[in-house]
Amino acid sequence: MSLHKLRLAAAVPLTISTFSSRLFLKPFPNTLTLGLFSRRLQQHKPLLVRAFSASATVQDIPATQTTVSSARPQWKASIDFKWIRDNKEAVEINIKNRNSNANLDVVLELYENMVNLQKEVERLREERNNVAKKMKGKLEPSERERLVEEGKSLKESLVSMEEDLVKLKDELQHVAQSIPNMTHPDVPVGGEDSSAIRKEVGCPREFHFQIKDHLQLGKDLDLIDFDSAAEVSGSKFFYLKNEAVLLEMALLNWTLSQVMKKGYTPLTTPEIVRSSIVEKCGFQPRGDNTQVYSIDGTDQCLIGTAEIPLGGIHMDSILLESALPLKYIAFSHCFRTEAGAAGAATKGLYRVHQFSKAEMFVICRPEDSEFFHHELIQIEEDLFTSLGLHFKTLDMATADLGAPAYRKFDIEAWMPGFGRFGEISSASNCTDYQSRRLGIRYRPSEPLQTGPKKGKANLPATKFVHTLNATACAVPRMMVCLLENNQQEDGSVVIPEPLRPFMGGIELIKPKLK
Amino acid sequence: MSLHKLRLAAAVPVTISTFSSRLFLKPFPNTLTLGLFSRRLQPRKPLLVRAFSASAAVQDIPANQTTVSSVARRPQWKASIDFKWIRDNKEAVEINIKNRNSNADLDAVLELYENMVNLQKEVERLREERNNVAKKMKGKLEPSERDRLVEEGKYLKESLVSLEEDLVKLKDELQHVAQSIPNMTHPDVPVGGEDSSAIRKEVGCPREFNFPIKDHLQLGKDLDLIDFDSAAEVSGSKFFYLKNEAVLLEMALLNWTLSQVMKKGYTPLTTPEIVRSSIVEKCGFQPRGDNTQVYSIDGTDQCLIGTAEIPLGGIHMDSILLESALPLKYIAFSHCFRTEAGAAGAATKGLYRVHQFSKAEMFVICRPEDSEFFHHELIQIEEDLFTSLGLHFKTLDMATADLGAPAYRKFDIEAWMPGFGRFGEISSASNCTDYQSRRLGIRYRPSEPLQTGPNKGKANLPATKFVHTLNATACAVPRMMVCLLENYQQEDGSVVIPEPLRPFMGGIELIKPKLK
Repeated sequence: MSLHKLRLAAAVPLTISTFSSRLFLKPFPNTLTLGLFSRRLQQHKPLLVRAFSASATVQDIPATQTTVSSARPQWKASIDFKWIRDNKEAVEINIKNRNSNANLDVVLELYENMVNLQKEVERLREERNNVAKKMKGKLEPSERERLVEEGKSLKESLVSMEEDLVKLKDELQHVAQSIPNMTHPDVPVGGEDSSAIRKEVGCPREFHFQIKDHLQLGKDLDLIDFDSAAEVSGSKFFYLKNEAVLLEMALLNWTLSQVMKKGYTPLTTPEIVRSSIVEKCGFQPRGDNTQVYSIDGTDQCLIGTAEIPLGGIHMDSILLESALPLKYIAFSHCFRTEAGAAGAATKGLYRVHQFSKAEMFVICRPEDSEFFHHELIQIEEDLFTSLGLHFKTLDMATADLGAPAYRKFDIEAWMPGFGRFGEISSASNCTDYQSRRLGIRYRPSEPLQTGPKKGKANLPATKFVHTLNATACAVPRMMVCLLENNQQEDGSVVIPEPLRPFMGGIELIKPKLK
Repeated sequence: MSLHKLRLAAAVPVTISTFSSRLFLKPFPNTLTLGLFSRRLQPRKPLLVRAFSASAAVQDIPANQTTVSSVARRPQWKASIDFKWIRDNKEAVEINIKNRNSNADLDAVLELYENMVNLQKEVERLREERNNVAKKMKGKLEPSERDRLVEEGKYLKESLVSLEEDLVKLKDELQHVAQSIPNMTHPDVPVGGEDSSAIRKEVGCPREFNFPIKDHLQLGKDLDLIDFDSAAEVSGSKFFYLKNEAVLLEMALLNWTLSQVMKKGYTPLTTPEIVRSSIVEKCGFQPRGDNTQVYSIDGTDQCLIGTAEIPLGGIHMDSILLESALPLKYIAFSHCFRTEAGAAGAATKGLYRVHQFSKAEMFVICRPEDSEFFHHELIQIEEDLFTSLGLHFKTLDMATADLGAPAYRKFDIEAWMPGFGRFGEISSASNCTDYQSRRLGIRYRPSEPLQTGPNKGKANLPATKFVHTLNATACAVPRMMVCLLENYQQEDGSVVIPEPLRPFMGGIELIKPKLK
């Protein structure tokens, strides 16, 4: 449900990041970034080392001030920088196709600097060790003094460089997190208009009477109350009443029962989560245009989709290959600020601040994610076909993909009140984009590497899982479809057959007697 | 569900409100409160008026400064508190405050009220005087006489502006202090602390187990039903995921409860879970402060509901209902969010006290003369529901000191929880009479004129009256799960589903240990 709207093209503020503009990046106090990481290597102490950083300029700052850097990223994505460097051209094209703000040149430059600085730090450590070793023997006092001096200087340089390395790694994270996932080769390149129709089901119902939109039907049948909610909560909130409450429950119950048949485990989730989990799933919880409600005085926020607590459930863990795939269907309420939303589709239930949703989530081996992506879209198509909706499935074009998605199928259903198709669900394959942030790995059952590995003797190396998410039922948009498509000339609304057993056999929502 | 914990005994910070201590009340900038509303009437200009306020002391403050500061800190809404009734029933109110262990300061309220009434009279007298001066000036006058009248009129106007400002502040302070007065108490309510609560009814007896029992946390783990560990990482402690049959059990509980309560004529609802803070206050909860139970949304005046009672109370806010529309009976499903600040002890383990849970809540809006009847209807519904599920429970008529400020009377139901080895609260039903409706502004217009004399203004319409509101838990899911899991466990580790719920969870009769 508009997940791509919720997503950020870039997880970081727009930064046309030349080296000079990096002065404005938040994680770095200005006093420290002056000339830091400049490509020009400054001869710091000729005797000792090519000072990679201009650490000389910051030596006066007390240690406490430099170490207490509260602006550091709270978590790190395991981004495969080597792969990005080795596939520079493909990544560059992908960034362009997806209309992303990510700046690959800066990432690669920072990465190279980081690698060099790391080497330099290692070289310095060795040098310091050599000096220490020399001092163990018998020495002329003058030679000892020289070595003491050299060791002291080396130590100072090392401390300073290690600090720089930490900062450089932080900045690399900050900039690199905006690189979007790669894209499935079959995804059409271009903007929204380029999205390809994968499937189309049914045709628009022809009405022989004056139709009402769902808002009018909701009022006339005493099903939806936006007016009271506007007073109590604000605009775009609503109460459901009477049969609408039963319809919501029926939709969720029926959806769960159908999806469970496919081997999905039902869940309910927390709806308040730590902001870091939101970020790791590829959403931006802060900033002026955020879609995310934050809790006052904590680092927590409200979920905009159950995808977030579902992504978090196996965070920082190594799963057994035999446990995969993990397939979940979760029911939750979702909360979205809908900042910046405008236009006709903001009327009524189409775009609201709080709604109920059943969301599917799959954690699987990389080689299986394509298969499960098709399973998910198939489940969605089957559900909506059973409800008699007229809809089409779209293979969303590159510019319409959020950063985490490798490929995304949207389903748009016919909404007679709007006189157009409206998005009712989407199914995304995020490959390892989220798992590299959430730290979800698995250990293959069979060793893949033949050579002996140091440390973990016979265990095969862990790999990142792939994650997929897909809407099974976003209740308000389903209600738009059901109310508007199933309305009768007498103002009543027919309940689709599959839902009737889940709402006490009700077949028809009739106008109430006043 | 622990509603009395969520309530505040007093809606305002503790204020042992003598006149001097009122200097510390927030709505008044210190510069303005110095000596303000002092009982000593200061003759300022003998010719004119007994200055009721020490407005002379603040005359130097620029007008915009006084208005801006007083407006910004003014209460955002006002309760229609019946001060005359309170004054005329001072003794009963005083005893009630004491019985309910409330911080409310009746003396301060009555003193402020008297001052307010006097000031109001003074303002009216001054207005009349100013009108008289204006009238006199319409005629032909000696220039010296005219000058004198101009001077007097100018002075009267200044005094009036100042007094009217004082009156606004006095009314605000009166609100602030008076809002902490609790509702009156039903005469049958036992006076005293928690131990004094009277048992109204007891159903069933504790099940005897012939095997070592598990608590719901252990059952939840063994049957793969509840995941607190992942939720602690993702959200924090006291959050949880439900899994597998627990999800179906939650849905079954809610569906079954709704279907049962709808049979009694209750209209089903789902509600917003984000509401304006003022609605929370008007329902008698405190959304701000260090020990608040309420999660606030960053950068807005909104917060998360701790119970559907709040959006239910708000649905007819500021409206006049037809008598024929009453009673309005609702059963609402919502998620509830509570910080549980300050909660500690053994009962904080597991599902008993959590930050987020599902609940079906009943709410009734009725005529004053009917609220006692509906209070009994509500507790009867609760008792019937829990009896159908085979729970062992007792209903308590909660003692005065255990009532939140809004409740006139409260029945709690406590059910046997074998894991704790004691009874635990699973629901409560409160009659709030007109406490909430006076804050939420929910009135009705009687169908038959009650007053015989001709009413000025609204010719034949009878005067509006405040409705009574009642709220009652139909199903607080996590505590029901504690009861069901712990009471229906079998020796083999499985859990039997009570019969009424089976049709609502696809016929499942038993939650069995999963094969790994």
